[in-house]
Amino acid sequence: MLVIEGLSRRFGDKAAVSDVNLQIAHGAFVGVIGRSGAGKSTLLRMVNRLQDPSSGRILFDGCDVTALKGPALRQWRAQAAMIFQQFNLVGRLDVLTNVLMGRLATVPTWRALTKMWSREDRAVALSALEQFDIAALAAQRADSLSGGQQQRVAIARALAQEPGLILADEPIASLDPRNTKIVMDALLRINRHFGITVLCNLHSLDLARTYCDRLVGMAQGRVVFDGAPEALTDGVARDLYGLEAGEVMDVAPATVPVAASIPMPDAALA
Amino acid sequence: MTRARFDLGSADHARLAAAFPRGMRPSPAGRVRMGLAVAAAVALAAYAFWRLGFSLERLGSGLAQLGHFVLMMFPPDPGTQLPLYIHALGETLAIAFLGTLGGALLAAPFGFLAAKNVIPNIFAHFAVRRFLDTVRGVDRLIWALIYVTVVGLGPFAGILAIATASFGELGKLFSEAVEALDRKPVEGVVSTGGSPLEGVRFGMLPQVLPVLASQLLYYFESNSRQSTIVGIVGAGGLGLHLAEQIRVLEWQKVSFLVLMMLVMVGVIDFISSRLRFAIIGKARITT
Repeated sequence: MLVIEGLSRRFGDKAAVSDVNLQIAHGAFVGVIGRSGAGKSTLLRMVNRLQDPSSGRILFDGCDVTALKGPALRQWRAQAAMIFQQFNLVGRLDVLTNVLMGRLATVPTWRALTKMWSREDRAVALSALEQFDIAALAAQRADSLSGGQQQRVAIARALAQEPGLILADEPIASLDPRNTKIVMDALLRINRHFGITVLCNLHSLDLARTYCDRLVGMAQGRVVFDGAPEALTDGVARDLYGLEAGEVMDVAPATVPVAASIPMPDAALA
Repeated sequence: MTRARFDLGSADHARLAAAFPRGMRPSPAGRVRMGLAVAAAVALAAYAFWRLGFSLERLGSGLAQLGHFVLMMFPPDPGTQLPLYIHALGETLAIAFLGTLGGALLAAPFGFLAAKNVIPNIFAHFAVRRFLDTVRGVDRLIWALIYVTVVGLGPFAGILAIATASFGELGKLFSEAVEALDRKPVEGVVSTGGSPLEGVRFGMLPQVLPVLASQLLYYFESNSRQSTIVGIVGAGGLGLHLAEQIRVLEWQKVSFLVLMMLVMVGVIDFISSRLRFAIIGKARITT
């Protein structure tokens, strides 16, 4: 179980995350929703320890993740695989090497630095790529791939870490609708097939409702909603998103603005 | 505890090896090429050492001599010539500053003219490139010797030498920075009906300015060291005194002059790193 206790993070005067308390059971697919700047990314990045909390604790199966250092921290990071909005692949390396990065926490340093990957590691990487139908691209440079393909490589890298938890930070924000479905389906498949927890930041409410079995709503760094997707009524969503509500819920605005109603100084048209 | 596990048996290995032979067993060609390249470089270096008479024995006796000189350098002492040296230091700084400024002012337009994405005409851009190559082919020490015979001894020759050499080098660096620019902002400016010149002014200049500024600051630092060397051939500044004191074996004065240069370069480095941050801006904290 992942337990977050009183977690806060400040950047200067600004509190990005303040006093977040969550308990997440194994095998859950949790969507973290909220407008941009609500602290969703910071929360996920703190779980992987890419960012350190200002106060509070994160516990995974009773182990205090926030106190980890050195090799233990690296092992934790391997266990809590990150997936990023911008994929964060090494563009100039080939796809296979990018996926093999997922093995770094278990491979001896001399092997990794000289790229003498073992047969087992290669097999794991190729098998991970195979699950997303991109093993044939293994020898290509990562930056020659489309966005959707790159995100699948990133998910394969995460899977090669043999994670116990997947942290996906807006994984589909840079993708078109078709790739959005492919990537979200891939995350769902990992969640169902291996039974591992997925914590996914999402901007779109519709996607969150479709894929997640629990939603956590954040606003100004605080958790303001926590429950099943059905419990998230339009009223709550409107509170969560404010003016952005219409756009994230895919509901047509009540009135379509007409050209004549857009204020325009007369002088500009003269 | 649940973790995603890969349980790959030998059957899976065989299947993967059959389906992706290159992935499972990468061809050794790349490693072989790398090994050959390293071996060739080592062989070339060994040949060069042998051909140029590298001798450990001479290096050893030379080091002993060097150690003797270092002992004689303590304590550093300017004697009675401190005011003269401070004046020379100011001269060296002035040579570096004016030389860098002059070279950069000339190099800025040439940097754009020599960039493929600004001047698509291959002949024009080829001509500018070769011109910069020619200027750059001659070191500032040689330029100093030439200018000393043309305009006479003194700092003026030093300024001209530094400016000319910096012009050739900065022109090349600037043009490479311009060629590495993102094309999209220029497209945005031109799409509104802007002229090509306006595309350069608003689409390229703002992007390239921080790069130019940091190169320029580095050049000022580098030129303040170089202008000392230029002084040795009579183009003004500290170098003249340094060469003279080495010739007459006044090691305490030599060490004092070297210390002055160190302090000068340190101060310039400190100031220029501050300036660079002010121009580029500190990295934004992302939430």
